[in-house]
Order: sequence, then structure tokens, then C-alpha cells
Amino acid sequence: MNEARLPAVRSLSVLVMPASRREEHVPTRRAPGWLVSWLQVGPLAAVLLLLFAIPMLLFLTVSFFDYDRVGIYPAFIFDSYQDVFTNPATYEIYVNSLRFAAITCAITLLLGIAIAQFLIFHIRSATTRIVLFLLCAVPFWTSAIIRAIAWIPLLGREGAFNQTLIALRITAHPLSFLLFSNFAVILAYVHQLTLLMIGPIANSMAKIDPALLEAATDAGASRWRLMWDVILPLSKTGIALGLVLVFTQVMGDFFIIQEMSGGQSGSVVSELSTEIQAMQYPPAAAAAMVLVVVVGAFVAGAMRVVDVRKELAS
Amino acid sequence: MGHLPHAAPPRVLPPSVIPYAVELVAVTKLYGATVAVDSISLRIPRASYCCLLGPSGCGKTSTLRMIAGHEDVSDGDILIGGNNITDLPPVRRGTAMMFQSYALFPHLNCLDNVAFSLKMRRVPKAQRYKASREFLTLVHMDSYAERMPGQLSGGQQQRVALARALITRPDVLLLDEPLSALDPFLRVRMRDELKRLQRELGIVFIHVTHSQEEAMALADMMVVMNEGRICQTGTPREVFDRPVSPFIARFIGGHNVLQTPVGPIAVRADRCRLAAAAEEPHVSGRVAAVEYQGALVRVSLVTELGDEVSALLPDTVFYAQPIQPGDPATLVWSLHDTHRLSEA
Amino acid sequence: MIAASARSAAPGRRPWTFYMLGGLFGLYLLFLYGPMIVIYVLSFQGPNGGVTFPMNGVSLIWFRDIFQVGQMGYIPSTFERSVILALLVSALTTAMSVAAGFGFRRRFPGSVLVFYLAVASLVMPSLLIGCGIGLEFRFLGWQTGVFTSALGAQLTWTLPFGMFAMFAIVNRFNRSYDEAASDLGASAWQRLRYVTLPILLPGIIGVAMGAFTLSYDEYARTTLTSGTQNTLPLEIYALISSATSPVLFAIGTLTTVVSFAVIGGTLWVIFRMQRRRASSRPA
Repeated sequence: MNEARLPAVRSLSVLVMPASRREEHVPTRRAPGWLVSWLQVGPLAAVLLLLFAIPMLLFLTVSFFDYDRVGIYPAFIFDSYQDVFTNPATYEIYVNSLRFAAITCAITLLLGIAIAQFLIFHIRSATTRIVLFLLCAVPFWTSAIIRAIAWIPLLGREGAFNQTLIALRITAHPLSFLLFSNFAVILAYVHQLTLLMIGPIANSMAKIDPALLEAATDAGASRWRLMWDVILPLSKTGIALGLVLVFTQVMGDFFIIQEMSGGQSGSVVSELSTEIQAMQYPPAAAAAMVLVVVVGAFVAGAMRVVDVRKELAS
Repeated sequence: MGHLPHAAPPRVLPPSVIPYAVELVAVTKLYGATVAVDSISLRIPRASYCCLLGPSGCGKTSTLRMIAGHEDVSDGDILIGGNNITDLPPVRRGTAMMFQSYALFPHLNCLDNVAFSLKMRRVPKAQRYKASREFLTLVHMDSYAERMPGQLSGGQQQRVALARALITRPDVLLLDEPLSALDPFLRVRMRDELKRLQRELGIVFIHVTHSQEEAMALADMMVVMNEGRICQTGTPREVFDRPVSPFIARFIGGHNVLQTPVGPIAVRADRCRLAAAAEEPHVSGRVAAVEYQGALVRVSLVTELGDEVSALLPDTVFYAQPIQPGDPATLVWSLHDTHRLSEA
Repeated sequence: MIAASARSAAPGRRPWTFYMLGGLFGLYLLFLYGPMIVIYVLSFQGPNGGVTFPMNGVSLIWFRDIFQVGQMGYIPSTFERSVILALLVSALTTAMSVAAGFGFRRRFPGSVLVFYLAVASLVMPSLLIGCGIGLEFRFLGWQTGVFTSALGAQLTWTLPFGMFAMFAIVNRFNRSYDEAASDLGASAWQRLRYVTLPILLPGIIGVAMGAFTLSYDEYARTTLTSGTQNTLPLEIYALISSATSPVLFAIGTLTTVVSFAVIGGTLWVIFRMQRRRASSRPA
């Protein structure tokens, strides 16, 4: 630090504030906080209300309507709901979809935790971490539809994977369960959705104070204990968010299941889309409402784990 | 011959007549039901260095922020230079604040940071850069003008923050724990800088700290706060020599607080000796610890009643007759060094 | 397995879990990129080859095919439509999300409601929402179209993402900057223009880019709301069911290149900005 004498401040040729420096430049009155917030959040809220809430309400209303082959008629009847609940196919489809959802959630959860753990706790350099994250994200810059059809040349009977297996003499015949099967559906789901698990979980893990882990190790925690007793509980929010995202994506899917199962399996929404194509809105709406309730129940359950206040800014 | 009409009294008192630069009148701050600042009143003379000292949560930062205008006053008035500024926004108060985290804008270089307030007043670029360079020179940071805050050390950032605050020519500079983030060596050097600046500029500095050493070194006027109230005001010497309450005696350090039949008393630890009990006031006990501090040695005793007291002895005195933890010893002082405390 | 052991071990010495997890990660990347490689390779399929291996020669013929008028329409014009839509959606999403992010800095009546509305919009099955909007337009007697109902449908998807991203970004913003700015005489507008927005700019650009990508790739919400014209994903879907030729893979490769350019460019800009502001030596 320079030890030279301070220049005498009063002789500074500094711009002197005009005597009227305390003149009005700023108004003394401020608009009430809540009003400003409403104006700021307004547009977003308006879009969501008009383009999400109202359509959903429309669905709800239409689900009580009467219909025939020709059109739909305003009414308040439970016929559509009755059809949904008495049709055994409904339960079959739900069980099917829920099964896929459960398996996908389980696999993506394990993968997500393992990979997030690796990226956050084992990679020391921040640059490497970002690069690896990007590597995970790059495939999603190609359309999901194209990625789905890419499985065919890869997993088909004459596909690259089978040909490699045969060339390496691991099997004699091509494996046929790889494509157009439940295996293929789950494979495609995991491929598509693991990133949705990695993201929130990694975010939660990154917020853990490293000092906590050091303290636990000093107290004698083994790696397993550390995982179960410290890391996982503190990543609860990320896990819950990941599960919500994956579950809702699987339950709402109609494309992957159709393509990868070769039309053998249906999902709740793919059934819905058939009814919608046929313009049979009331039963479609009723089925949609039931799905909304199922999904909503799951999300509500998962949200109990998430501290909403902390996720909100303030 | 008629009467000369009386001159109309001046509407605004000239500055030399206003005795106090900053005045707080029954200022209160409530956060919901919690009382952070409880109806405090304070008068700070012109051109003085005032330190607000106290433990965490005592209300000193809330008080500072109310003076700055970053916190609304729940009740009471604040006057600066005789003007009631309680409802004015920060920019119109004649104050400038130095934040604990410095809050230098990360997207602007040092020159732009310091020139910011002038840019808000639409001062042309050439003029504001010239002024900015002069103030950077004042804090010895002129060679860093083109650097970004992220490239500076803590001490350097602080000096730039200082320049940025001073360029607005405030009447009062408010500092929120400015030295807490610095390492001890740097802290002492910055202390000298701050004191020197304050004397040169001749304005009021109000400096919040929880370190009594810092406050004693810097302050012309020390204000000790606890639980939202002002416990004592005075020069550092007054507060150290004649603390008003047991809390202040303990907080300021270097005192033994003892209960006597006539009420609590405080005795400076450096005015105590270890000797045989005689006519002079004394307490007996066992040595609990001996702490070597360089020029002084601190011997702490546990008295027969279980109180902890200590003596600060010059090293030569201690090593002439060293003692060990566990030895019996008696703390002795002269009556004239006994200082009566209030009950609170 | 933990940061502590990564730090305390001598550089180069890693716990066994590092290798295990690293291996798993490697396998995952292989799994991720498998289909991608297939797409890129097969897009160079020879003139007589099909959509599966083996490669029947190598050619650029399928790339050329993209520019022919095909059964469904003209790919470049669909592409253009997708890009314009994505730009619009990105601009609108960014503006509204940034504003909402600021709005949520205070507690205000109805904040929890808006929060849950956004969550709901995010998790509800996309096809349902698309269908719902189609219904809504029908009831209002309006025509569905790419730049009306499809735009709106995509917004219900991008706005929640944008909003939550802004929460994270605004949360990291130090309030002291606001106070310092007002201390130095900035009015609310000046604060926004000279302090808040510039500091948040890298994050905001990230939101814009994210919204662009989400829109550009969006299929489920767009399919029932796009009216008579197609966006690129819809076009591709139509092509899948009708013609199966390596043109699809060529399209995939090309769109990946476009995405790379857009995202890569944006990331580079953000990276440059952060480097200017970050510390180049420890404080």
C-alpha cells in the first residue's frame, strides 16, 4: 500500500455536487409492493389461466356432457365417468401405465443418484463438471421423435447391436426382445428421462455444505452410512422433483410407448388420443379428468417433501 | 426615531450553529412483534467518528440501516444536519453506505463502479471519469481503474467501495462491519486508513462493529448497545475506565466483575496483582489457567465462591514469581481502582 | 465418494467408488449416444440403402432430398416456421418469466396459487393440454394455428420452466446490489437497467435459450393446436408413418447441427460474460 501522503481532500478539483443535489431525481412515493408484484407476475399468470386453467375447466365441464355419434350436448350426467370406471380396459391400461411408470422411476432414480453423485462429489474441477453435464444434454438437442426411430436400426433383428453380438459370438441368433417389446419401451423411457432425474438431484446435492460431509466422516461414518444418513436425506427435494417429472412424463406419454412396443401396448393417453381423434369428447374428457386426479395425487404426495417456500424466491 | 423592526429569525440555521450532525430521537424498529431497536436517542457531534458496538442481534445494524434509509423507521425521527430525513429515500439524506459485502457491481470495472452515482445524475462521461479517477487515487487504487471487482482482493474491493461512497460527498458515511472480512494484519492497516480519511474529510463516520478493540481504536464516540437499547455512550476511555453496568464491563473486556454487599463492582484486570491478602480489597482462590500474551501474562483464578477473575500482569512481574494452575492465590487491588456498577 | 475424500486424498489417488461410478457414467454416455451415432451414420446412407444397417454405400443424397418437395410438404419451410415460432416463444417466455421472477421476490396475495398453477401446467399430460386448448378455440369459434393456439400451448410448457429457472437466478442475486444502487442515487428504472438486468443477463440468456430449445423440439402440446400447418417435429412424425427413408436421419443430423450452433453459440457468449466477471485469482 502506498504510504504517500493523502492529497488534501478539500483541494481536489473534483466535480462539486451542484447545491441542488438533493433536488428531485427520485420520487418519494412508492407503489405498494403487492401491486407491483401483480403487474410483474400478471402476464405469466394470465397466460397460464387462459391457456391452461380454462382448458382444464373446459375438460371438466365437457366430461359431464352427453354425446352420440353426431356431436356433444351440454348436460350434467355421470355416464362418461360410469363408462370409465366400469370398463375393465381402463384398469388394465392404468395398471400397464403405472407399471411402466414405476419401473422407469426406479431405474432412472438409481441412475440419477449414481450419476449426480459422481458429477457433484467426484469431479473436482468445475469446468469438467460443466462439460460432462453438457455431454449428457447434447443428445436432447435432437428431436425426441428422431431419436425414437433410431432405435430400430440399432436394436432390430438386423440391427447393429444384434450384429455385433453375433460377430462377437455371444449369441447365435438375434435377440428379438430388444425391440417392439416392454423392454424396448422401458429402454426408451430411461434414455429419454434420466436427464430429468439427474438435473434436480445434482442441484440438491450441490447445495450440501461439504463441511457436513467432512464432519460425518470424522465422526466415523462409512461411505454407505454417509450416503444413507447424510447425502440422500439432504437431497430429498431433488429426488422428489425428479420423481415427479419422470412419473408425469411417463403417464402422459403416447408416442414412445406406441413406437417402441410396436402397437402392442397402450398408455392412458394413447387411448385418450384415439377417442379425441374420433371427436368423442365427453368420454375422453372423463378419462382425462381421472388421469389428472391420479397424476395430481402423486404430485401432491411428492410435494410434501419439497419445501415450497425455499423453492420460491424469498 | 422609531424602532428598528426586529430582523426576521433565520429560517434555516447556518451549519455552524447546529451542534449535532446526526440526531436520533426515540427511534424504534419493529419486525413484526420483535423489537429490534427500542426507542433509542442519540446525538452525534460534527466531524466525529462514532462506533456502534454490541453483540450480534443488539440492533446496531438495524440502527445503521435506518439512518441510511434502507430500513423503514417504525417510530421516532432521524435528523441529519438539523433536517428531519426520516421519510426521505437514501439518496436525498446526505448519507452514503459502505456495505459489509462491499456490493461492488460485478459487471462494471472499478472506474465505472466509482463513477456510478455520477452517471445516475447524468454527469457527462469525461467529467465523471475524471472525478472517479481522483477518488480512486484518494484510496490508492488508481492503477486498478480498469480491473473488475472479481479480480481484486478483499482489502482492495473495500477501498474501491469507499471511493464509490465518498464520491457522493456525503455528510455522513455509514460503515457496516467494514473490517470483519479482512485478515487481522490488514484490519489494523485499514483502521489507520479509515481514521485518517475521517479526519481529512471532516465528516461523520458511523461504524458498526462487534469488536471492542476496533471500536476503542477508532471511535471519538463509542455507543454500546444491547438488546435494542443503548447501554452507554462516551469516549472509549470513559467506557473502558468507567463502565456503567456489568454487561458493559464484561463485553468491553479486561474487567473483573464481582458481587459485593454494596452491589456489583468492576476492577480492571491490569490493576490487579497477585499478593498476600492485606487491608486492600482482595479475593482468594485457585489458579485456573496461565496465559502468556507476550507483554502481559493473564492469570485466571476461580474464587472460593466459584467466580472467575483474572489479573493481567506485566511479564517481568509474573516471571519474578511464577505460579502454576492449581496453586492457591489471592487477587489484590487498590480501593481507588474499584468502580461501582449499576444493577442492570 | 465424498468431496472430503476427494480433497484429502493426494492428487491422483481416488477411492474405488470413483472408478465404479465413473464406469457407470461412461456406460450411460454410451447408451445415450448410441442412437445418436446411428442417426449420424445412417444419414450418409447410400442411394439404395434403407433405414437399417448395413450401409449400402455412402452418399449425401438424403441431405439433398430434404430440399425436395415431398409428400408432406417442403421441409425448409417447415423448418423456418419452427424457428420463427421458437424465437417468438423464447422472447415471450423470457420477458414474462423475468418479470415474474422479480414479482416473486416479495410475498404477495396469490403467490402460492400462481406457483401451483405453474407446477400443474408443467406436470399435466401435454396431449391433454393441447386437446383442451383445441376445445377452447372451438368453443370460441376461432381457428387453431401455429402462431396462435400452438404458440399458446407451447407457452404453457415453457413458462413454468422459465419461472422456476428465474427463481434460482434471482435467489442468487445479492440484495446489497439493489441497496447500493439506490444509495448511489439510482431510481427504480435506473436500478433495473444499469444494475439488476446486466448482472442477471447470463442467466436470462440461459432462460431464453432453454425456451427456444423447448419450443423447437415440442411435439405433444403442438400436435393438436397447430391447425393446418406443421412445425418440424410434427412434420417428422408424419414422415415416420408414411415414408421410411434415411431422409429422416438426414433431417435429424441437420437439426442437431442447428441446435448445436444455437446452443453452442449462446453458451460461448455466457461463458465469455462470466469469465469477465469471475475472479481470475483467489481473493
